[in-house]
Amino acid sequence: MLRVGIIGTGTMGNTHAEGWAHTPATLSGFYSLDADRAQTLADQFGGRAYATLDALLNDVDVVDICAPTDRHHDLILAAAAAGKAIVCEKPLARTYAQARAAVEACEAAGVPLLVAHVVRFFPQYAHAHAVVSRGDIGRVAVVRLTRCSFQPQLGEGNWFLDPARSGGMMLDLMIHDFDYARWVAGEVVSVYARGVRATTPAAATDYALAILTHADGAISNIEGGWAYPPPLFRTALEIAGDDGLIEQPAEGSAPLAFHFKQTAGGAAPSVGLPLSPLAESPYTTQIRHFYEVLVNGAPSRVTARDGLAAVRIALAAIQSAQSGRAVRIEEINS
Amino acid sequence: MKPMRIGILSFAHLHAESYAALLKTMSDVEVIGIADDNAARGRYFADQYRVPLFADTHDLLAQRPDAVIVTSENAYHLPLVTAAAQAGAHVLCEKPLATTPADARALIQACHAAGVQLMTAYPMRFSTPAVEVKTMLMSGRLGKVIGVNATNQGALPEFHQAENLDFLGRGWFVDAALAGGGAVTDHAVHLADLLRWLLVSEVTEVYAATNRVLHQDRVTVETGGLLLLTFADGTFASIDCSWSKPAYYPTWGGLTMEIVGEQSLATMDAFKQTMTVYSGRTGRGALAYWGSDANAAMLREFVDAARANRPPAVTGEDGLRAVEIVAAAYESAATGQPVRVG
Repeated sequence: MLRVGIIGTGTMGNTHAEGWAHTPATLSGFYSLDADRAQTLADQFGGRAYATLDALLNDVDVVDICAPTDRHHDLILAAAAAGKAIVCEKPLARTYAQARAAVEACEAAGVPLLVAHVVRFFPQYAHAHAVVSRGDIGRVAVVRLTRCSFQPQLGEGNWFLDPARSGGMMLDLMIHDFDYARWVAGEVVSVYARGVRATTPAAATDYALAILTHADGAISNIEGGWAYPPPLFRTALEIAGDDGLIEQPAEGSAPLAFHFKQTAGGAAPSVGLPLSPLAESPYTTQIRHFYEVLVNGAPSRVTARDGLAAVRIALAAIQSAQSGRAVRIEEINS
Repeated sequence: MKPMRIGILSFAHLHAESYAALLKTMSDVEVIGIADDNAARGRYFADQYRVPLFADTHDLLAQRPDAVIVTSENAYHLPLVTAAAQAGAHVLCEKPLATTPADARALIQACHAAGVQLMTAYPMRFSTPAVEVKTMLMSGRLGKVIGVNATNQGALPEFHQAENLDFLGRGWFVDAALAGGGAVTDHAVHLADLLRWLLVSEVTEVYAATNRVLHQDRVTVETGGLLLLTFADGTFASIDCSWSKPAYYPTWGGLTMEIVGEQSLATMDAFKQTMTVYSGRTGRGALAYWGSDANAAMLREFVDAARANRPPAVTGEDGLRAVEIVAAAYESAATGQPVRVG
């Protein structure tokens, strides 16, 4: 029986626990710097609240890292040294050097490193990728991806808004679509980006546009933002090929709308998640896939090298927005 | 009131057709005729709109029109506008104003020297959804704009022409010598102009990535294009000008904007005012546009400005600015780095 321990008990720790609960794996427990929160999740999902990282490592087969981004590197290295299989929330690490070191450590230790680029498991994104892979729209020419919501609202110590910890919106949020663009249009060779926080770090909102040039000639327009009025969260996808076109506009496929005479009084959630009613949450689909990879050796839909490449594109976008120059991907090495 | 006597110089551009049809409905306008260097095309449209056909441009200009509309291939705007200006006619020139900034400046200078008004045909400035966005921006309710994600995509221009009308010679849209380029020339100018107008700020830097994946066996110009513009006030905006809509797309294409403000999001889909009509005659559904005709409002402004001999709402300089942005986009696409403008 596969035993799983989750590190980090924020929104993603909770979401991953929900996913593991839908697999045959045993959720051994949680470790968090916030011990009360770890206990709350243990009470909810079963398992223990570990007092130390070592206690968790000694008790599991799989370490699922949902801690803030700047902690990923150290946690991956510790888990790899302990010979544990690893699931890690995106982005793989805060810097390219850390991400590369993490990948190399796992390869040297012979442990799987599965990066949770969950967008690859959202049905519309997975379906569009399958359509492209089948050749149904021909060769990919122009990709357009949008992902915008409001600033994560976590009160005191909001690590999302601290670029030193999260890398900022481009590394935390836009990386979803950087990864997806690379998945459907191939390796990225050059990135140009404009972002409001690159020039105004204290801005109350964050918004960026990036243009990617892919090795095979495709070009991508990526829009990302923590700029919308809450609780608005919009995503959009468009892929133009030389023999067809896929369109998934932001306002295109909502099967439901609720209208109220007055505001129901509910505050916006602390971190926006894009949801459409589905038989299974894409987060659960992802965890079930990882379970199959770890237990039955199925090929992983997303590899450690994919996670590494996505970090590199995001860092190139950040560097471009700061320098005002287009950045070749090989310029990013640290 | 004496009708404005207006001539049309060339039907190379398909927009001439909608302009001609609209001018015929304006009670204070007389279409004195058309001139076209393609005799078969000229005869075809002279018959269609029941207006005189002149053997060449100079014969039409000899009739001393009050104004002309220039809807030739882009590369011929300069000689036609210059000839019209020297004949004392006010000019509405199809976009892009010219294929190079130098030509655009020469064309503006010719009109200035002759004392005639020059308007660049940017109908999107008169699109009712765009005007509504402008009003909302001016009200301040959207707050300061951070960035804009915009598209003006279309089908390959060749698809705009019915297959049995080859003699109309509309293949020039994909001929770099006559058009000035491909998708960037054809489509980026509308949004470049619209963004300048909406943001009340000038573009200072242009980055562009282009490719020729779509229709690669059919044309030699770029068919895919993404631009990222930086404005003097710090706002940035991307433009997707690709010919990425297939021939079998339900419309010619479209123009959209997502405008992100400090406290707001505004979205515009300028050609969204459609209904779906399912007809047994075709056995399928088709979109029918029922929104207001921006071309009609644009022509109204041109006629009013020409009659009053005042600068129109969209000037030759506005046309030049967009041509400069296009030229910078091509330079950026070639060098891989952003290019300063102005």
